[in-house]
Amino acid sequence: MADIKAPGFKSSDLISGLEAAFSKYTDAEKQAQIKKTNGIFELQVTNTAKETVTWTIDMKKTGTVYKGKAQPKADVTIILSDETLVDLADGKLNGQKAFMTGKLKTKGNMMLATKLDTVLKGAKAKL
Amino acid sequence: MSFQGLISGSECAAPANPLSQVLKHTEGDRSLQQDRISGPSTPRLHYLPGSSSSVPANEQDIALARQFFEGNSSGHAMAPAFSMPHPAELARINEMAARPGISEHWALEQQQMRGLDDPAKAAAWATEFGNTPQASVAPTAQQNIAGPEFQHQRSYMSPLYGSPMPMGMYGMGATGMQYGMNPNFSTVVQGKGKEKEVDFETAFAQVIDSLEPAQSSTSRIEEVDDGVQEIEESLRAAAIDGHVTEGDFQKVWEELQNSEHPPPKEDIAKWEAEFSQLMSAQRDELEDYGKNMQNAWEGGVGNYDGNLGDKPMQFDAEGIPVLGDYVFERNNNFLDPSPSRSLLNEAKALLEQNGSLSEAALMLEAAIQRGELGEGSYEAWILLGETRNMDEREEAGMRALLQGVKRAEESGTPGPGMLSLAISFTNESYDRASHSMLLRWFRTRYPDVSVPEETARAMITNSAWDTHGRITELFLDLARTQHGQNKMDEDLQIALGVLFYTNGEYERAQDCFAAALNVRPKDYLLWNRLGSSLSNGNKPEEALGAYREALQLRPTYTRAIYNVGVACLNIGADKEAAEHFLSALSLQESTGGDTSDQLWFTLRRALLSMQRSDLADLAKPEAKSNLELFRKEGFDF
Repeated sequence: MADIKAPGFKSSDLISGLEAAFSKYTDAEKQAQIKKTNGIFELQVTNTAKETVTWTIDMKKTGTVYKGKAQPKADVTIILSDETLVDLADGKLNGQKAFMTGKLKTKGNMMLATKLDTVLKGAKAKL
Repeated sequence: MSFQGLISGSECAAPANPLSQVLKHTEGDRSLQQDRISGPSTPRLHYLPGSSSSVPANEQDIALARQFFEGNSSGHAMAPAFSMPHPAELARINEMAARPGISEHWALEQQQMRGLDDPAKAAAWATEFGNTPQASVAPTAQQNIAGPEFQHQRSYMSPLYGSPMPMGMYGMGATGMQYGMNPNFSTVVQGKGKEKEVDFETAFAQVIDSLEPAQSSTSRIEEVDDGVQEIEESLRAAAIDGHVTEGDFQKVWEELQNSEHPPPKEDIAKWEAEFSQLMSAQRDELEDYGKNMQNAWEGGVGNYDGNLGDKPMQFDAEGIPVLGDYVFERNNNFLDPSPSRSLLNEAKALLEQNGSLSEAALMLEAAIQRGELGEGSYEAWILLGETRNMDEREEAGMRALLQGVKRAEESGTPGPGMLSLAISFTNESYDRASHSMLLRWFRTRYPDVSVPEETARAMITNSAWDTHGRITELFLDLARTQHGQNKMDEDLQIALGVLFYTNGEYERAQDCFAAALNVRPKDYLLWNRLGSSLSNGNKPEEALGAYREALQLRPTYTRAIYNVGVACLNIGADKEAAEHFLSALSLQESTGGDTSDQLWFTLRRALLSMQRSDLADLAKPEAKSNLELFRKEGFDF
């Protein structure tokens, strides 16, 4: 598979970290994640230099992350800026707020986009 | 300590009553939200939070809001009204057909929309769109135009759902209509009017764009399992061979209409619309949109039973996951002898003395298996669920709580366990379930407070974003009322905290939990909740302080230990994180019971980010590795 990193993108490390984590999941962990999320996310990220890169997070069939368009077709395509993606992962922004302020646009099943925070955030504290 | 500060100090800025701080926050934010929802026409649509004087406007707002949330993000105040319903909504609509009373709901919504035809409102719209200084000469003329214009546009709503008219034609028609109906518009309102035109044009372009995928997605209704089997089948046949002639459809259609149980009128209309959609859709697009539809179905409603290998979660109508029965542990030493002693009481005593959570849970399991269920036959279940959750065994805890809540409802004393269950759902990101459970809790806790009919209905039909707004408003209203009477219910604060937490508004959640802690400073559960709000709100260092308070009060609190580990992981202290997970695991192991999968998973993650994949391979729940192995590797726990 082609290199997952994209130079000039702050979110590149985040995605490659995610990819590394997913690739080392045991089957049981993958199943648990897939069961909860059950969707294929295609992220179209644009940086400040107006370059665009596409990453896909498959949390439905294979439990993998890769660069490029979703195969098979994504359930939801999320169009956002490099910074927004980083903020989402840091928890500085949530999906709904980003959507309402126009920082995040979706194509496809929008409600799946609400699960993106959960996917991006690795370890989450519990109430 | 800075934590004292959090509760009563400057950060909260309301030493006497932190609640007031919460209120301030929310009012500020809400007004912003209103602006977004109501668009540029704020003066008319603005109403103060909590005032229910203008009911029709409220309803209209809600309708608009719903469209805003579920439509496409075209950013133009008008566009959402024209955009096609989102696939998720469509799925829901189809699902709704199977429910009684749904047609009323539908009708109601239509009525709300028709509210736009009201002359007064049309006038308001007209001012909104034509309100420029230059235009002041001809306000009446504009109103006259705007009235019919809107009706025309309104009339497009129904074709949207089922017109076989080709897309291009529709787009042309709409744009043409816009100018055709508005001959004076551009002349009267020269300067700014020009801009408006452009606005309209872009808005329409957006609408048209958004129509295409949505329209075709409606065409694959065979994915929808809403009880109209016959139609489904005929549609599937049509989709598969793709060569069916119009005549065949006509035949099927007539058969259906003449069948024994003619469906209700509204349904016929809807089906007819869907039929024509199918006929007009592009064949090569069917596959993609079928998938879209399937996703919409899964995401929006959840009880889709597809062929996806691993079975996806099942949910009931209110979004509550269907989990199955509680699984008792196999090796439970408490099951054997001494039938004379009361295991339930012993477990309670153990919990009170800060004993081992795993041990208490095993006692409770044994008590339940022996039929000692305690008060109302739900007490033991709820206690078991709460103990499991504290012990970082969310899945087991959720199952036990579901059982307990059900039993409490059956025995006529609903209420206990609901808040804990809602929190459990929140942890597992079952937002809709969490919202419905909080609403149920609210109704039993405050039977005197009336819950708007629409809110109750929205729990079944609407998305989590919408229900969140409704419930938060309901809870905040009551919190304000209580504040006015100088009262405060900590549980209501906790519930509000959970609500904010589900929405990622961690700072507000912190305020709520801190307010509740003011009343119950010895509640270690609350300290942990404050901590996790801080941790998820990207303040892991402050979170550690809150967890420390929790662990001082309750050293065996596994969840707090787990959360400490998570906070360490998030600040890059991987080794410390692993040590915390290991100590939690050894605590659970010492009682001879099962361990938490979640703890193993997160331990693995910590080991992986330490680049120790050799150890990570050992740290699998199924491997049942001896924890001493890790001690030998230099982990201190």
